[in-house]
Amino acid sequence: EQDCLRFWATHSRALAERWKAARAAGPGEPAATRELRRRNRDAFGELLLSIRGLPAALPTLPLELTVLYNSLLFTVGASDSAIKGEADGIHQGLLRVLEACGTCGQDLSTEELWQKVLQEVTVEELQAPLHRLGALQAAWWLAGRRLGSIAGLFQLLSTAEDTGRGHCSEGQNELLSLLKAWRVPAEGASLPLVQSVEDLKEILCTAAAFLQGLQELEAGNFRTALSLLQEAAGGFCSKKILAQIYTCLGCCTQRMGKPQTALQHLKRALQVDFQCLPALSHAAAVYHELGEMDTELQALALLYEALENKPPAAASSSPYFLIRTELLVHSPTLTSLLRHHHPSEVKYLLAQRCLQDGRVTDAVEHYLDFLALLQGGLQQQVPLDGSSTLPRIPEVFLEAASALEQSGRHQDAITVCEEVIKRTTDLIPRMLRVEKRLEQPECPLPGAGLAGGLLSQKKDSLCCLAWRTAGYLHQGWAWAKLGESKEAITQFSRCLGDLLRVQLHGPAIEPTDNLPPEVEVLQKIRLLSLIGRGTQFLELGRHKEALLDFQHGLQVSPGDPAAASYLVQALWKLDRKQEAAAQWQKLSQSSPGEQEGKGRPLPLYLVSCLEQAMFPHSQTLASTIQDYLGTAAQDTS
Amino acid sequence: MLLSEQEQLLSYNGEVLVFQLSKPKHVEGAADKTMNLCVRRMVFNRDTKVFVQKSSGAFSMHASHSKIEMICCSCTTDSRTGIILPCILMKKKKRNNFNYILLLLHSSNQFEQSFHFKLDYELKEDIMLFAGPSVLWRHINKLFYISSNTCMVRSAPLQLSSVVWTGEIVGEGTVVLGIRTACLPESEDADEFSTSDRAIWGSEFFGYAVQTQRMLTGTCFMPHAYSRVVSSVYVCKSERLKNQLRISLVAITHKNQLIWFQNGLPKGVCELPFEKPCSVKTAVTSSNDLLIIVSFAFGNSCVVQRRDSLQVASKCQKVKCVLVDDFIGSGSEQLLLLFKDDSNTDVLSTFKITDLEGVDYASGINFKHDVPATEGLQENGLLTVQALETRLQAGFTSVRELQQHLELQKRVILESCRALIDLVEERTHILPKAEEEGLVSLWDDVENPPHSLSKEKSLASEVPEHFTEKLWQRVVGDSLVVGVKLTESCHWSLNDVSLSLVTDQDFSSISPIIKCQSKIIKLNKAFSALAVSSCQIEPPPKRIKLDLHSKDDLKKEFPKRPSGVHLNGAKTVIAVTSLSPLLAFHHVCCAVLLHAKRRKQGNDGLQESKQITVLCGKIVLSLEDISNGRFSVKMLRDNSYCAGTMEDILAVLATAVRFSFQIMSSDWTLTPVNSWLLGEMECTPFKECHDNIFCHKAGNLYGTVFKWSLKNPFEGVLTIFCRNLTVLFQCLHSLTRVLPPSCRVKLLRSGRKSVLTEQLALALEKEMLTSKSSFFSKESKAENNLTWGNEAGKKIDNAPLASLLDTEEGVQKFRKKLQNEREESVLSMNQTMSGALYQKIALKIAEAQLSSDMIVWRLS
Repeated sequence: EQDCLRFWATHSRALAERWKAARAAGPGEPAATRELRRRNRDAFGELLLSIRGLPAALPTLPLELTVLYNSLLFTVGASDSAIKGEADGIHQGLLRVLEACGTCGQDLSTEELWQKVLQEVTVEELQAPLHRLGALQAAWWLAGRRLGSIAGLFQLLSTAEDTGRGHCSEGQNELLSLLKAWRVPAEGASLPLVQSVEDLKEILCTAAAFLQGLQELEAGNFRTALSLLQEAAGGFCSKKILAQIYTCLGCCTQRMGKPQTALQHLKRALQVDFQCLPALSHAAAVYHELGEMDTELQALALLYEALENKPPAAASSSPYFLIRTELLVHSPTLTSLLRHHHPSEVKYLLAQRCLQDGRVTDAVEHYLDFLALLQGGLQQQVPLDGSSTLPRIPEVFLEAASALEQSGRHQDAITVCEEVIKRTTDLIPRMLRVEKRLEQPECPLPGAGLAGGLLSQKKDSLCCLAWRTAGYLHQGWAWAKLGESKEAITQFSRCLGDLLRVQLHGPAIEPTDNLPPEVEVLQKIRLLSLIGRGTQFLELGRHKEALLDFQHGLQVSPGDPAAASYLVQALWKLDRKQEAAAQWQKLSQSSPGEQEGKGRPLPLYLVSCLEQAMFPHSQTLASTIQDYLGTAAQDTS
Repeated sequence: MLLSEQEQLLSYNGEVLVFQLSKPKHVEGAADKTMNLCVRRMVFNRDTKVFVQKSSGAFSMHASHSKIEMICCSCTTDSRTGIILPCILMKKKKRNNFNYILLLLHSSNQFEQSFHFKLDYELKEDIMLFAGPSVLWRHINKLFYISSNTCMVRSAPLQLSSVVWTGEIVGEGTVVLGIRTACLPESEDADEFSTSDRAIWGSEFFGYAVQTQRMLTGTCFMPHAYSRVVSSVYVCKSERLKNQLRISLVAITHKNQLIWFQNGLPKGVCELPFEKPCSVKTAVTSSNDLLIIVSFAFGNSCVVQRRDSLQVASKCQKVKCVLVDDFIGSGSEQLLLLFKDDSNTDVLSTFKITDLEGVDYASGINFKHDVPATEGLQENGLLTVQALETRLQAGFTSVRELQQHLELQKRVILESCRALIDLVEERTHILPKAEEEGLVSLWDDVENPPHSLSKEKSLASEVPEHFTEKLWQRVVGDSLVVGVKLTESCHWSLNDVSLSLVTDQDFSSISPIIKCQSKIIKLNKAFSALAVSSCQIEPPPKRIKLDLHSKDDLKKEFPKRPSGVHLNGAKTVIAVTSLSPLLAFHHVCCAVLLHAKRRKQGNDGLQESKQITVLCGKIVLSLEDISNGRFSVKMLRDNSYCAGTMEDILAVLATAVRFSFQIMSSDWTLTPVNSWLLGEMECTPFKECHDNIFCHKAGNLYGTVFKWSLKNPFEGVLTIFCRNLTVLFQCLHSLTRVLPPSCRVKLLRSGRKSVLTEQLALALEKEMLTSKSSFFSKESKAENNLTWGNEAGKKIDNAPLASLLDTEEGVQKFRKKLQNEREESVLSMNQTMSGALYQKIALKIAEAQLSSDMIVWRLS
C-alpha cells in the first residue's frame, strides 16, 4: 500500500542524500552548484506544498517540519543574498502545528505563535523538529536584527537545566550564553537535514557575536565590542568572514587607542584572507595615526597594487553551506568598515600624503599617475556613489601643479593650471554677491529648498572662482621662478581681476571671523597674489607699485608678517626709511605666532604658495633697520 | 458552472448545444400546464467569428402543478447503439414527490425519454450521468443508481461520504470512485497501520464497479491520505499492464491545490489561484499539450499546463462556463470560455475560444483577462541574464589572468635580456631582489624559532644519582602499567631510557624477565589560567616588514610569552605488559629496572654514551588487589573537568593506541571540532593537563582520550588515544559528519611535518658534522711524511699551459710534472690509519646516518 507519509519520507530522504552526496563530491563549477541549489529549492518547495495540501496531522508533522527546514535552507542558499523579511514558511509551519493539535493562532505575531506552540505542544516527537525550526527562526531574526525576539525564543527553547548551565558565567552576553546553552537536538537518520543544526548553531553564535559587536562598536562601547568581536573570531565561519571580523577588531582597537594591537588584528585579517583589502587600508590609516609615513606609504602602494591586480570579485565561497554568516550579518557599520577603496582613491591618497610630507618627486609621480587614470574616463575610475574620499577634481589638479612647482617643473605646473583655468572659465558669473554670513541660511522660510539650492550654487561658483584664481596664482609664482617677471605680473593681475568679481556684503565688524570658508580661501589667494605681484614689481624696480600692492595686502590681512616685511622693504627701497623703521617696529612687536594658529587649515594646494610668499631676507632687513635705528638714535641724542 | 435551472450548455461534436426551458409563447388557457425544452445547435463560423444556429428542436412537457427543472446534462453512450448522445436529466416536483426524467437528444433534434423514476427525496449530492445512459447519486451515506437497461433504482452495498468521480475504467466498466471513513484493518500489522494514511487521516478511497458490483482498491487511484481533501477528480488515462491498473488522474482539493497522480502516487502539485475549486477537466491541444481546466465558485476559472511541473498558464474571472471541444474544426481541442454578460441575454454573445497556443478567437471583449504566464517568463529571463552575467564575468576573469600572465612573461623576457647584456659586457648579473619582483612577503613569516631548550641546559652539570622520583602501577583492561617518574633534572642527561620487569621469584620453567613495552610520555602540566584578557595589554611596537628599508631592525628580540610551562613537562618512563600471564602466579613481586644511556661531553664535541641500569624499586601484584580495584584507573567527572591523577592519565595513555590526524580546512574555521569533542563526544579536559580531554560517552568510546591543538583557525592536529581500531573508526566516522565539507584529514605517522623536517635538517647537519670532524681527526692523527701542506706551491700554473705546449722542451717538462703528480697522488692514496680509529669513525657515521634515515622514513 502506498502511504503518503512513507512516500514523502522516502522522497525527502532521497533529496537530502543526493545533496549530501554532491556535497561530499567536492565543489564543482560555481554555476553548476548554484543550479543544483536552485533545483533542490524547487524540489523541496514542491514537496512541502504537497504535504501542506493535506490537513495537518501529528504523525506527519515531524516530516513536514523537517522538509520545511530543508526547504528554507535551500531558499536561502539559492538566493545567495542576505536574508530579508520574515520567514513566512515558519509562521505557516507553526500554524500547522497548532492545527494538528486542534487549536489555532491565526492572529498572533510570530513571537506569540512560538510562545504558544512551545508552551502548549508537548508532543515528544515534535520537540526536535520544532527546535531546529527555532534555530532557523533565529537566523531570520538575526538578519532582521531582532535580537530581543531571539533571546525570548531561546529562553523558551532552553529547559530549566539548560538555562542553569547558561547562567553560570557572569557578565557574559545574555544572548550568546542562551545560544550556547541551547542543546542541539540529535539528527534522526530517518529525517536527514541538508545542513546540520550543529552547524547552524555555530553559525548563529558567530553571527550573533559579530552583529552585537558591530552594534556596540556603533554605539561606542569599545570594550564590549572588543570582547564580542573576539568571541566571534573564535567561532565557526569562513575565511572571508574571519578576515572581516579581524578587520573590525582592528578598527575597534584603533578607536580604543591601541594602534599596535590594531595592527596585529589587521595583520591577522590579511593572513587569513589577503583579499580582505579593507584591512590593508585600515592598516595604512593606523600608520598614518602613528606618524610612520614610510610604512603608511608602503601599505598604500601595496594596496594600490593589489587593487590593480585583482578587482574585488564577489566569489561566493563554499557553495555547500546554505546558511552562512555573511547572509545573517548586515549592518551599515560593517559596510562602511569594509568599503573597498577604488584604485584611484588610493592613488590620490598616496599623492596627497607625499605632498603633505614634502616628498615632492614621489608626489609628482603619483599625481601624474592619478591624472593619467582620469584620462581613462571619470566613470570607470572614480566611485560616483557619494562615498568617495576624493576631493573635487580641480583641487587635485591644483595640488598636482603645486607638486610640480615644488619639484622645479614650472612649465608643467603652468600647463596644469592652464587646464583648470580653461575648464572654469564658463562656470563663474560676472558678479558674485556674497553675504558675510553665508553659513546661516534661514531655513524655516517658505521656499527654503529653493534658497538652499541657490546657496549651494553660489558656493559652487565660489569654489570655481577659488580654483581659477589659485590657478593664476600658481602660474604667477611659476613664471616668477622662471624669472619672467612681466608674465608673472600678468598672471597675478588676472588673479586679482577675477577676485574683484566677488562683492562682500554685510556688517564689516571682525572681517576675518565668521567668514564662509570659501571666502576665506579667496581672501588668502588675494593676499598671496598681492604679495606675489609686489615682489615682482620690486624685481623690476617699480617700487611704488610694489608698495601699493603690499599695502593692499595688509588691508586684506592685517598684520600678515610676509606682507608687512615686504612693505618695510619697499619703503626702505623708496628711501622712506623712517616709515620703514616704524613699520618694522610695529611688525617686530606683534607676536610672531599670532597669525599661524588662527583660522582653518589652508587647502593643500595653497600651502606651497604660502611658503613662497614668505619674506626671505628677514634677517638682513632686520639688521639694516636696526643699524639705521641705532644711528638715528645716536643722531637724536 | 453558473448555469441556471433554465439554461444548460453542452458541447457535442464541435457544436454547442444550448438547452433552454421556457413557457410557450402563445399564452392561452392551458399555457400554464406545459413547458418547452428547446435546444439550439450552435456552430462557430470561422469567417464571421461568431456562433450561428445550425438547427433547433423542442420538447414539450406536461407540467401541471409541478415545477420543472433541468438538473444536469452530459454526453453518454447509448447502450443500445453504442453511440454517444447528449442526455439531460429533468426534475418534476410535485409536492413531496420528485419525478426524474432522463432525455436523450438524437441528431435529428428529436428528444427521447430514456427512463424516469420517482423518489420521495430530492437529488442533491453527487449526481452523475454515465453510460447506459444511467444516473448515479448519493443520498445521505448511500449510493444509488439506475440505468436504462433496468429502469430500477438500485443501491450499492456500502457506506460512503462522497463520490469524486464516475467513469469507465479498462476492464472494469463503469467505476465509481468514492470516499468513506477508513475501515479498521483485519489482518494488517497494527504497528504498521498506525502510520498508514488511513490511520492518520481516518478516511479512504474505494472504487466500485457498477456492473460487476465489485470493490476495487482505492490506492490505484490515489493514496488514502488525499481522501480528506479531494473534491473532484478527472481520470486522464487508465490502462491495464500485467493485470495491474495504471491510472493517471488530476484531482482538485479543498486546500486549493491541483495534484497530478500517476499509478497512485502524487507526481506534481500546483497551487490554484482562486478559492473553492469545483470541477476539473482536461483538453489536448494541437501540440499535444495537456491543459487542465479548473472551474471555481464565483465564476473563476484557470488553466494549468503540465510541462516540467504544473503551472498556472492562464486565469479568468466572471466565467459562466468552460466547454472543451474542437469548435473551429482544426482537429484538436480548444477551450470555449463563456463570460457573464448582463447586458446581453444571449448566452453565446461574449466568449473566447483559445488553446493557449495559436488559436484565439474572442467576441464581445470587455472583460479583464490577465495572463500570469509572464511570471514564469520573467523568471526565465532573469535566469538567462544571470547566466549571461556569470559567463561574462568568467570571461573577464580569464582575460585578466591572461593579461597578468603576459605581463609576467614580459618581465621574464626583459630580465633575461638584461642578463644576456650583462653577460656580453662581462658584468656579473645581479638577480633582482624578491621585493623588486613584486614578491613582497608582508611580514616575517618565520617567528623566532623557540630556542631548543635542551641545548641551554648545561650538559656539564653533574648527573644526579637519584633518577627516579616515584614508582607506581596501574591496571588498565588486560594490561599492567608500571611507571617510573624521572626526576626533572635527569632527563636531560639520559638517553634511550627503558624499563624492564624482573620477577624475583624463582620459577625455573620460565624466564624471569617479563616481556614488556617501554614508553616515555611527557605531559604538559595544566595551564594555571588561560591567557586572560590578552587584549588589554598593548604590545610594544613591532617592526613590520612593510618597512623594507630598515631590515636591520628585524632581528629585534620579540618578547617571549610569559609562560614557563614548557619546562614543566615531567617525564615518566612506562612499561606496559600483559596482565593475565602474571596473574597466573597469583602473587607476583617484580623488580623494576631502569636502563638508560648517560650522556657525556666528549672531547671532540660528541656525546659519548654509557649504559647504566638502575633498580627503581619493586612492585607487588596480587589478584586480591586487582579484585579490590586497588590499581584500577579512576576517572571521575568533576564539574566540567575530569578528575584523575597523573598516574591514571599516564596509564590510560600508555595502553592506548595513538593516532594523529592533521585536519585542514580550506575555507571554514575548525571550531566544529571543539564543539564536537565537548558536545557529541561528551569530553572533559583533565584537571591535571588541559590539553588532553577524556571521553565520557557511554559505550565503546568511553575512555578515549583526545588532544586537539589548533595551529591556526584553519589547521589543527587531532591526536586520538583509543583502545582499539574499532573505536578509532567510530570516532572518525562521527567526526567526518561535523567537519566542513572542504576539510582534508591526513593521518600523521608521527609528529607534524614541520617538526619532522626541522628534525631532518638537524640530523643531516649532524651527519655532515660527524663525517667532517672524523676526517679531520684522522688527518691530524695520521702519520705521513708527505708534505700535504706544501702542495699548493707545487701546483702547476694552468694559465701558461698553452705556451708550455708550444715547444718540444715544454712538452717534456709538462710530461715530467705530470709524472711527479701522479706518483704523489698514488702515495697519498696509500695513507694508513689505525683500525680502532676507523671503527670508531664508521660507527659514528653509521649512527648519524641511521638517525637521519629514520626521520626520512617517518616523513615519507
